[in-house]
Amino acid sequence: MIRARRVLVYVVLVLGVVLALAPFAVTTLASFKTTVELVKGPFQPPEVWQWQNYATAWTDGNLDRFFLNSLVVAVLVVVPSVFLSAMTGYAFARFRFRGSGLLFGFLLLGLVVPLQALVIPLFYLLRELGLLNSYLGLILPQIAMSLSFGTLLMRQGFVAVPQEIVEASIVDGASSWTTLWQILFPLTRPVVGTLALMFFIWTWNEFLLPLVVSIQEEYWTLPVGLLNFQAQWTSNLPVIAAGSTIIFLPLTVVFLIFQRQLVEGITSGAVKG
Amino acid sequence: MLASSRSKASLLGETEPSLAAGSAGRFRARRQGSPWEPYLYLLPGLLIFGLFVALPLVGTIALSITQWDGYGTPTFTGLSNYVDAARDPLFRSAAWHNLILIPYFALLPALLGLLPAVLVQQMKLRWAPFFRVGLFLPYIMPGVLIGVVWRWLLNPVFGPVNVALKAIGLNPPTWLGDFQLALPTVGLIGAWAAYGFCYVVFLAGIQKIPRELYEAARLDGANGLQEFWTVTLPGLRREMAVVLSVNLINALRVFDVVAATTGGGPGRETNVVALHMIDSAFKINRVGYGTTLAVLLTLVTLGLSLLVLRLVGGLDD
Repeated sequence: MIRARRVLVYVVLVLGVVLALAPFAVTTLASFKTTVELVKGPFQPPEVWQWQNYATAWTDGNLDRFFLNSLVVAVLVVVPSVFLSAMTGYAFARFRFRGSGLLFGFLLLGLVVPLQALVIPLFYLLRELGLLNSYLGLILPQIAMSLSFGTLLMRQGFVAVPQEIVEASIVDGASSWTTLWQILFPLTRPVVGTLALMFFIWTWNEFLLPLVVSIQEEYWTLPVGLLNFQAQWTSNLPVIAAGSTIIFLPLTVVFLIFQRQLVEGITSGAVKG
Repeated sequence: MLASSRSKASLLGETEPSLAAGSAGRFRARRQGSPWEPYLYLLPGLLIFGLFVALPLVGTIALSITQWDGYGTPTFTGLSNYVDAARDPLFRSAAWHNLILIPYFALLPALLGLLPAVLVQQMKLRWAPFFRVGLFLPYIMPGVLIGVVWRWLLNPVFGPVNVALKAIGLNPPTWLGDFQLALPTVGLIGAWAAYGFCYVVFLAGIQKIPRELYEAARLDGANGLQEFWTVTLPGLRREMAVVLSVNLINALRVFDVVAATTGGGPGRETNVVALHMIDSAFKINRVGYGTTLAVLLTLVTLGLSLLVLRLVGGLDD
């Protein structure tokens, strides 16, 4: 009975994993074929592995530029977001001050409001500021949108640090600034790490904002680039498959390296309460 | 899928944003720094947040009662945009499509994730991290990528899905190109992207249920099914609420998957509110009307997710 259930469990789980991963595997396989081979059958291995599909996607499809844009934007969103979140989270964790409840609620607004709710006026605001088609236009709004979750998580992280540690630092005469960066920030490294990962994935995957902000191809990020790429190369599926692989492979590697933090961040970030 | 949104990841992050609960008795401002100190820490964050989140949000609400083509001064038109929306057949069909997507995006993956989680229950799994990672992977992929991948997988002529179906003697449909099937197909893609996430959340929840509860149920002579209804399911209320509300929100504001698979077609069969909103605001320059749709989308999203949290999660008690 128990043995039968064990077998059933593994069968179901393996099926689930195969279903989850097969689309990526088949896509990568397709990326190495010629169009003719692909039409003949999607499951057979190619006769000659067509590496040049990747070169085509990378250079002719401009994925190199989009990749660079994604990387620049992600780094310039994640790093400031983490530091700003640490500061706002610290303000609420350590100090009691007038209006703290109100300001906290205000900053958490971003948790319940989707980007869809602000993207239209945001476009005109960025136009007024001359930030359409610029990295800043892609970066600043995403930092702003990261702060809600960041403030919440960093505050929780700081509050969980035993008070004696903070008090010891105060007794030593450390300023609140020094306490934050030299004592609390290093102590909450796991939280900081999870936060940075979440910010990274969010920024890397963001589609609506760059779609609206970046009218010129120069400032497209990977998701926007991929969509247009798909439209341009409709007749050349292996190149589309190569382009897709170029996007999901690095993300998969990042995920594999940090899977524990990421899965925990995403799930417990949602379930905690 | 997950990632397109900073807002949903933590809808439940903390159910009541009360400061007192956490901070009282922990840190206390018992130093003699300037009373302005906390505000200085908040200042840069508040400035950016105010300018790029709060201000546009106010802008959305303000513009929703105007007519504006994006240039010059908006004209105040009261609630006429809202009346227009109620009459707009495109908006109504788009909203209907979002509703139809809810069971696919929210219920189906919840069931698909619940089944293996319940089977595993508190069993020690070999390769548990492997299953976790493998199942979770689609959830961290960008919606556009998911759309692009599935569009070719479902290519009616040489896509692997139809090739496989033909090989076993079936006569497969054209999926995303089929007027009747396009929307359910988009829904299934959403379900595919989310079931692993549901599994991971449920499994974590089940493993937190005290072992004694299961033992007690067994002593009472409960069979597997009774155990599920009386112990497992009640123990998963919060997880269920999270999974359902997060995926419900995904169904309501879905944009990138649709943009990459069908672009709203064939015809308008998979047009959704977010797509209609962007088209209205940026393609035909009815900016005021676009923001009206944004307000409606936000209100419905908030309302329905609160409802789920309340009904399923029992957050009112």
